[in-house]
Amino acid sequence: MNKLETTGFEAEAPLISVRDLHVTFSTPKGPVHAVRGVSFDLGRERLGIVGESGSGKSQTGRALLRLTAGNGRIDASRMMFDGMDLMKANAKTMRSIRGSRISMIMQDPKYSLNPVLTVGGQIAESCRRHEHVSRAEAKKRALSMLETVRIREPEKVYSLYPHQVSGGMGQRIMIAMMLITNPQVMIADEPTSALDVTVQMQVLSLLDDMVRERGMGLVLISHDLNLVSSFCDRVLVMYGGRIMETLDAKHLDKAQHPYTKGLLNCLPKLDGRHDDLPVLKRDPAWLHEDGLSGGASR
Amino acid sequence: MIEIEHLGITFGSGKSQIAAVKNANLTVAEGESYGIVGESGSGKSTVLRAMVGIYSHWTGTIRIAGKPLQGKRSVASRKHMQMVFQDPYGSLHPRRTVDDTLSEPLIIHGLKNREDRVLKILTEVGLGPEFRFRYPHQLSGGQRQRVAIARALILEPRVILLDEPTSALDVSVQAEILNLLSALRKTHGLTYIMVSHDLAVVGHLCSRIAVMNRGEIVEEMSEEQMRTGNVKHEYTRQLWTASQGYDREALATFKEFV
Amino acid sequence: MSQSSLGHESSWLLADTPRNAFQAKCQRIYIGWLAFKGNPIAMFGLAIVLFLCFVALFAPWIAGGDGTTQDLANRLAPPSAEHWFGTDELGRDIFARIVWGSRVTLYIIFLVSIIVMPIGLIIGTTAGLLGGVVDATLMRITDIFLAFPRLILALAFVAVLGPGLENAVLAIALTTWSPYARLARAETLTLRNSEYIMAAQIMGASRIRILFAHIMPMCLSSTIVRLTLDMAGIILTAAGLGFLGLGAQPPLAEWGAMIASGRDYLLDQWWVPTIPGIAILVVSLGFNLLGDGLRDVLDPRSSGGH
Repeated sequence: MNKLETTGFEAEAPLISVRDLHVTFSTPKGPVHAVRGVSFDLGRERLGIVGESGSGKSQTGRALLRLTAGNGRIDASRMMFDGMDLMKANAKTMRSIRGSRISMIMQDPKYSLNPVLTVGGQIAESCRRHEHVSRAEAKKRALSMLETVRIREPEKVYSLYPHQVSGGMGQRIMIAMMLITNPQVMIADEPTSALDVTVQMQVLSLLDDMVRERGMGLVLISHDLNLVSSFCDRVLVMYGGRIMETLDAKHLDKAQHPYTKGLLNCLPKLDGRHDDLPVLKRDPAWLHEDGLSGGASR
Repeated sequence: MIEIEHLGITFGSGKSQIAAVKNANLTVAEGESYGIVGESGSGKSTVLRAMVGIYSHWTGTIRIAGKPLQGKRSVASRKHMQMVFQDPYGSLHPRRTVDDTLSEPLIIHGLKNREDRVLKILTEVGLGPEFRFRYPHQLSGGQRQRVAIARALILEPRVILLDEPTSALDVSVQAEILNLLSALRKTHGLTYIMVSHDLAVVGHLCSRIAVMNRGEIVEEMSEEQMRTGNVKHEYTRQLWTASQGYDREALATFKEFV
Repeated sequence: MSQSSLGHESSWLLADTPRNAFQAKCQRIYIGWLAFKGNPIAMFGLAIVLFLCFVALFAPWIAGGDGTTQDLANRLAPPSAEHWFGTDELGRDIFARIVWGSRVTLYIIFLVSIIVMPIGLIIGTTAGLLGGVVDATLMRITDIFLAFPRLILALAFVAVLGPGLENAVLAIALTTWSPYARLARAETLTLRNSEYIMAAQIMGASRIRILFAHIMPMCLSSTIVRLTLDMAGIILTAAGLGFLGLGAQPPLAEWGAMIASGRDYLLDQWWVPTIPGIAILVVSLGFNLLGDGLRDVLDPRSSGGH
């Protein structure tokens, strides 16, 4: 049991190690390759996956939990988590991993929370499912968790129903629910894109704390290159199901790949001029070039 | 072109009454592009909806080209002001082709040469005639938003209200739509009011920007202030800082503005 | 995606750029059909319904008789080569009566549909769109109709209007429309705040236009699905009224009435009530399966994405 004693993630073995991941969906029009040969490692760090819609970034995140939709197939030469190959894990093992050791936050808390149960009840329930504690204890933990995610009146919020909370609060509640089980890895799929900028920052700082204080590994999936680069340690840029480039978030300006450069350029800048924005030109060759999914070599 | 004085809108009644917009004042010159930024619930979209008459119970004065607007609008008066919505998936009727969507305003306003107008506007927004008979589900998000812009433009309005027109789009598509919008403004001499939560997007398109918080306009920024971050109100500064990306230190200074 | 292998017609139907509105509509239907075709159970339901239509259309040729000719010497004969389903208590050929009865069944279905759908849609969408007092009034009326058990209310109507097939249909329609109004209203309430309805308002569309051109087409598919699923119930209610002697009057062959008159012979001459029972069962099942399949194709919630 190597628990949370951690100092500097570079030295130790990665929490998650993925090699040559493919996700394929069979549709009436033929197979659709959502993810094609993605490899990366995740340490106790903040890893960003950036891409536009259809880049396969969300499917990569889902594949880690084997939550791909029914008509999808996951292939990988390996997908290691804590010495276990998730590709070989059976359904029962996956259930015990999901939520308790690897958690996932989705974009819209409205779809992830049960509308007929109070939010506090759901957090407590999540706690009880993974640890055998009494109802009173679960409630106590849920309340303190709500406080951790900086909800000002935990008692009041505890008994609210999902439709009664705002988007930002809903997302904090989701995070509380996911964190109460003390996961080693958190996959956050566009956790803040439905939120206001200031709330967005607050939610991110929560995730930041979890990485720093609990030694958690975080995968932040987002379309927002600026946000991801200001928050994460490393950024994978995805396009068409492949990793175009792996970047050190601090040195985004050193991006080599034309896609990354194009993405950066077409963002309106706060200090920019009113000229036309450069439009991203896509090169079909990006989808075929080999050896670009160099995420494996850290 | 647009003058808004003491605009107020409240929803609900009794205890649950909420003032969505409180005493908002703004003037927009002809051909100007004016931005309103604010977080959700700030009342920024409500201002637009009052202007186009979706809400009719507002108080105060709204003047378009000198003429005050009433709560109830005549069909003809609607021609001058159109709106583009945020969600390109929700703003097109799913059972109607692009042609149906674009022809309808022409039918309502009894305009002739419908086919020519539809084809012309499709070309103008960068979609070819080949898109004319497609259904929304056959279009990408960016293409849908182009159709929505075409629908707003087809009546040849003078004012276009943009309610977060790019926030549901990918950044590369957002760039294309922003370019299209600024090109259309130049060629048609349009007046824009754009609402967004994204300071950079508003700053790109607009020359003056009002910052709204909890139904009130707290500050009006010039382009220059926007670029340098030299703003007066604390709320604006916080918004500006947050828009710069994740910054742990700055976050500690954030507070709630009530 | 290359569609060249699918032949000429489908390339017209699947072309990326439809050249006119007609082609666009056809494409839409064709793609729906492709989805429907992939569901064998729904196709089975469709086959039953089409078979019913076929039988009703060619009844004179299939039945080989008018189904009302009595042959008292040959009453209650068991199924044989001459009388495939046997004969009833008056010596009439049950096969012929089943075949002719399909016309009655289709007639009921058709009449009920053309009464129920427009009433339900108009009342529901109007209430949903206008809201306020109109909504409250229309919905309370709907509630009143909804509160009565269907067969009892139908019985009351028939008692007032007098027995007969048309009156039975009218009674069924009057007791069936209310859930449709509720359904249409609920859907209108969610549509009312959608951005495309707002866009129509902003361009100056009148309420009538919004109601008929924007909202109704969106409610139509769920209404059709609901009607198909309800069809079994309608057939059974019609049969129930027939069974009680309040629907189709003798000597008209109606499946429910056939069961009613045959029920005395259930133990000794089982085929007399059983055969029409099976007919009702099969047709009801057919409509239910068809409705399930249609829901997958038409329902905006399940087909909304792509």
